[in-house]
Amino acid sequence: MKEEQVKPQGIDRRTFLKTSAAVGAVTAITGFPAIVRSQPKEIIIGSIQPVTGPLPDIGISMQRGNKLAADEINAKGGIKSLGGAKIKLLLGDNEAKEEVGRLVAERFLKDGAVCLVGPFLSGVAMAIATLAEQRNIPFVIDVAALDAITAKGYKNVFRCFPKTEYFMTSLGRYLDQIIKEKKVTIKRIALTNAGDAFGRGQGAAFLKYVKDHKLPFEIVEHIEYPLGVKDLSAEVTKIKAAKPDLLCPVARPGDAKLLIRELYKQRVELMGIISPGSPGWYEPEFVKDMDKLAYYVLDNVPWVNPKSSKFQDANNRFEKLYPGKYLDTNSGYAYTGVMVIADALERAKSTDPAALREALRKTNYKDHPMVGGPVVFDEKGDNINATAAMVQVLPDPNMDDRVKVVLPKEAAQAPYVFPWKQLWDRG
Amino acid sequence: MNSDVVLQLALQGFLMGGVYGLIALGLSLIFGVMKVINFAHGEMMVFAMFLSITLLLWGGLDPYLSLVIVAAVMFGVGYGIQRVFVNRILELPEAMQVLVLVGLGIIFENGTLMIWGGSDFSPKTSLALSSFRWGPVTVDVPRLIAFILAIVITLMVLLFLKKTNIGKSIRAAADNRYGALIIGAHINRIYGICFGIGAACVGAAGALLVPLMPAKATMGAPYTMVSFVIVILGGMGSLIGALIGGLIIGVAESLSTVFLPSSMKQVVSFTIMIVILLFKPQGLFGGKG
Repeated sequence: MKEEQVKPQGIDRRTFLKTSAAVGAVTAITGFPAIVRSQPKEIIIGSIQPVTGPLPDIGISMQRGNKLAADEINAKGGIKSLGGAKIKLLLGDNEAKEEVGRLVAERFLKDGAVCLVGPFLSGVAMAIATLAEQRNIPFVIDVAALDAITAKGYKNVFRCFPKTEYFMTSLGRYLDQIIKEKKVTIKRIALTNAGDAFGRGQGAAFLKYVKDHKLPFEIVEHIEYPLGVKDLSAEVTKIKAAKPDLLCPVARPGDAKLLIRELYKQRVELMGIISPGSPGWYEPEFVKDMDKLAYYVLDNVPWVNPKSSKFQDANNRFEKLYPGKYLDTNSGYAYTGVMVIADALERAKSTDPAALREALRKTNYKDHPMVGGPVVFDEKGDNINATAAMVQVLPDPNMDDRVKVVLPKEAAQAPYVFPWKQLWDRG
Repeated sequence: MNSDVVLQLALQGFLMGGVYGLIALGLSLIFGVMKVINFAHGEMMVFAMFLSITLLLWGGLDPYLSLVIVAAVMFGVGYGIQRVFVNRILELPEAMQVLVLVGLGIIFENGTLMIWGGSDFSPKTSLALSSFRWGPVTVDVPRLIAFILAIVITLMVLLFLKKTNIGKSIRAAADNRYGALIIGAHINRIYGICFGIGAACVGAAGALLVPLMPAKATMGAPYTMVSFVIVILGGMGSLIGALIGGLIIGVAESLSTVFLPSSMKQVVSFTIMIVILLFKPQGLFGGKG
């Protein structure tokens, strides 16, 4: 070893004096770290998504959606009514856990966040909503559907995504249309759901809807499994034994893949899969990995409006930034969530939480990329114009174009296929 | 619930149990020889799954072929871990050993996350979707292959320990460390090899699971738990116990879905563990306890 490498660690007196003199001079000239008043200040917004844990694909795509909106606003000159103040998005990870979501939210509020956005999971949304209400800081839910989140009438909670009740109304309408148009009879339905707050809520809402509307279906099997499950063979055996016409799964990306492979291997004959509304069936990873097995799954899900120019513009940038990915329901609503906050900030002309809350309450945001009317919040903070489309994965040489809106007719990109071709008959 | 369904569930559980057994074998071997519980076991398996997936995506190598490479790499990794970390903590109190191994687990999990990201990976493999009818039941081919290979590997490890010189030294070291030292066994090398074999077993199990389930960097912890349960059931340090324990847990979890909601599956394995701890704490095949 050479001798000059063996230097005592730390700083000697001369270096210290030199450095501090330099720092002192720089501080005196620039005024740093004193507050710089002439430049537009930053507006801190905390984004809290499940970036790690069991749902990273979705968490990451939502974080990207949040970022896409913040970058767009900053590139266009920030919040104009606040002197061009830039949005600073703090990126947080809720690990798909309620307690982590709350902790991260708390940290962001300490760091000066004026508004929170997130968090994909209904359970985590509940945890953050209670905190936001306690601290009187607005919380804009981009994605999370459970009715109970807004049912308490929190003043600070606003939800862009449709609540479970809206999902079911839309599903009922589409099911009715499919049965009439295709002249099929569906009698026996098997329902599966993941065991997290959203999965349970969505599963229960589906059962309730069938019962309340006296729909002529029999629920022959209802299976619940834990989030992040790694083996669904036993569950699919039970589904097969129940001989359903239709499978209605409330899934997540991992279990959707497991489910479809097991249905194939155990040769479960179905007329098709219609999800009452859940992720798992339209993400690029699912479409790519499952290829032909992904075809013909119908999902009643809030979706981007492929015909809106706003979508085309945002999606172009998204695809350029993240090759092989596209704006879907989650990243689309994540984008919308931050845009709604920016719109409210613009009108509030202030970062004061009370003013921002009032502005959010008066939101009428038309220029978003999703299927559905302008974002307008009711007294409980639910977006009354949020709704679901029916999307279907259809054969297309280009993987990125396989997920297509098929209902409602006015947004449809292709006619839907039902009943499907059995999984093992697809060549 | 008719008998065909029960039969189907039992078969699926039984086949999966073989793989569980192979995972637990590594844990049991390491514990039996070094009296250290490898809390990084599940995370090491996930790391091996990703190695196998990488070989599949880059080299087009089917997991059943890459299994050999993955097991060899994991052997090296295991050997290294033993010599660098585990060998230094053998004499420490158990609570301190746990810290080091849990720490290793965290490093493996986050290393996997850093290299491969957090997504679900389920690349297409040649046999992933094949199955056949056999009487009243459907047999899932990748599951069957995983079962057969798991049993073969388990038997090979058992034979290795019984017949070869190194195997005999490993057993000697397990029986009496100082005794083995006195008669001139290279105890550090033996421990390294032993940890390496344990890691290779769990690595092979990881490769076998690739056609069966989507791999995800964060899925390791439950597998550490389940192999721990199996080892307690079969008897700490008993290799044949690990295999039988794996089969029992596999069948029990699968059959439990007949009368319990699926989300309660794990309740069954932990109940079995508690019952065993209460009434036969040395496990089914454990020696003096």
